Amino acid sequence: MRPVLYALAALFLIPTLANSQESKYYDVPKGDFPHDVAVGPSGEVWYAGQKLGIAGRLDTATGQVERIPLGRNSAPHGVIVGPDGAPWFTDGGQNAIVRVDPATKEVKVWLLPPERMPYTNLNTAAFDGKGRIWFTGQNGIYGRLDPKTGDMKVWDAPKGRGPYGITGTPGGDIWFVSLAGSYLANVDLETGAAAVYEPPTKDQGARRVWADSKGRLWISEWNSGNVSVYDPAGKSWKQWKLPGEKPRTYAVWVDPDDKVWLADWAANAIVRFDPVTEKFESFPSDRPTSNVRQMLGRKGETWIAESGTERIRVIRYPAKTN
Amino acid sequence: MVPATSFAVEGDAGRGERVFQRCYSCHSVDPNDKSKLQGPSLHRIMGRPAAAIPDFEYSDAMRGKAAAGLVWDAAALDRFIADPESLVPGTRMTTPPLRDDQERADLIAYLTLAGPYGH
Repeated sequence: MRPVLYALAALFLIPTLANSQESKYYDVPKGDFPHDVAVGPSGEVWYAGQKLGIAGRLDTATGQVERIPLGRNSAPHGVIVGPDGAPWFTDGGQNAIVRVDPATKEVKVWLLPPERMPYTNLNTAAFDGKGRIWFTGQNGIYGRLDPKTGDMKVWDAPKGRGPYGITGTPGGDIWFVSLAGSYLANVDLETGAAAVYEPPTKDQGARRVWADSKGRLWISEWNSGNVSVYDPAGKSWKQWKLPGEKPRTYAVWVDPDDKVWLADWAANAIVRFDPVTEKFESFPSDRPTSNVRQMLGRKGETWIAESGTERIRVIRYPAKTN
Repeated sequence: MVPATSFAVEGDAGRGERVFQRCYSCHSVDPNDKSKLQGPSLHRIMGRPAAAIPDFEYSDAMRGKAAAGLVWDAAALDRFIADPESLVPGTRMTTPPLRDDQERADLIAYLTLAGPYGH
């Protein structure tokens, strides 16, 4: 499959200065529907073009987008950059884990075992400390792929439907959350058994989860509008309501300085939470219904997929951690 | 075979149950299902006006379409499943477009088995 290059006529650079942060917006080709986004080690940005079944590679210097078809019926939901520097996709349409070689653009596909379920609604992936990629399927599964051997295991999730966001901790552990099940789970990396941690807020609707530098798990709660955190060391929970009358917390990412970035659909804004001061700071989108479903970043940069406006946004800010 | 629509393609509810796996994470056709799902129940969806379940929190986009008179008949469902965003811009339903005519017909045949609205 040949990648397609798109030179965008308009590269939107709209600085929104607020306390020395700056936002830039990049249009992606109409119809791509960037669901998730990830930034690679050299600063290249990848997104999951769910509607067209493509990997999008954004050159942030020129605004050029390269589209790489992922296969027949592809509909990638999630993308992360693995320890190998390559983008890895959870492809619901192909019911597969998909890797794109960042240099050659070669596409490699690992299909899920079809006998379990031909369509598991694959959601998100994360690497453990042993180079294996773990994934969730919203139809009620989670699994593990060892790319070196091709060995893939799939397990039924606790409470059935719902597995959504997943994250790896600095220690290499894997945790995921369930949207329909409203729980946090930790998997045994070898047996695959999932231990459920019930949050204090009933039916909170956990969308996504991210680990901070201390291995604490930060959770975006869609139904409750909260951000919550579970500390495995202290076995304790805390939660905070986002600002506004009825917030809807979708995405979460924790930056290297342990500031917690969240997407609030009700406010049409990205919100940054400082766990030390317990204060929120809002960075609204410059267009309505941005519908941010996911974000990822690196030091001083938070990358945001605006599925509703078909744009990639970056917020740049002063960072402390080297 | 269940003639789900008046379209050229005839739907098969048996195959449609398999296609429903695309919807399964967010929807149920079981009236007794108490799961906290992100999508409304599809039990007795055929003929139901859009945004008609009282306790369900629909998007503003879907409420707007409901106010404009959208009703979930086979033709409307076919258009919505084919490309949710084109029929209801701003919908929260993010299922990728189901472009296969046969699969859509099969799915609608399966949903027809879930009963007509108001009965």
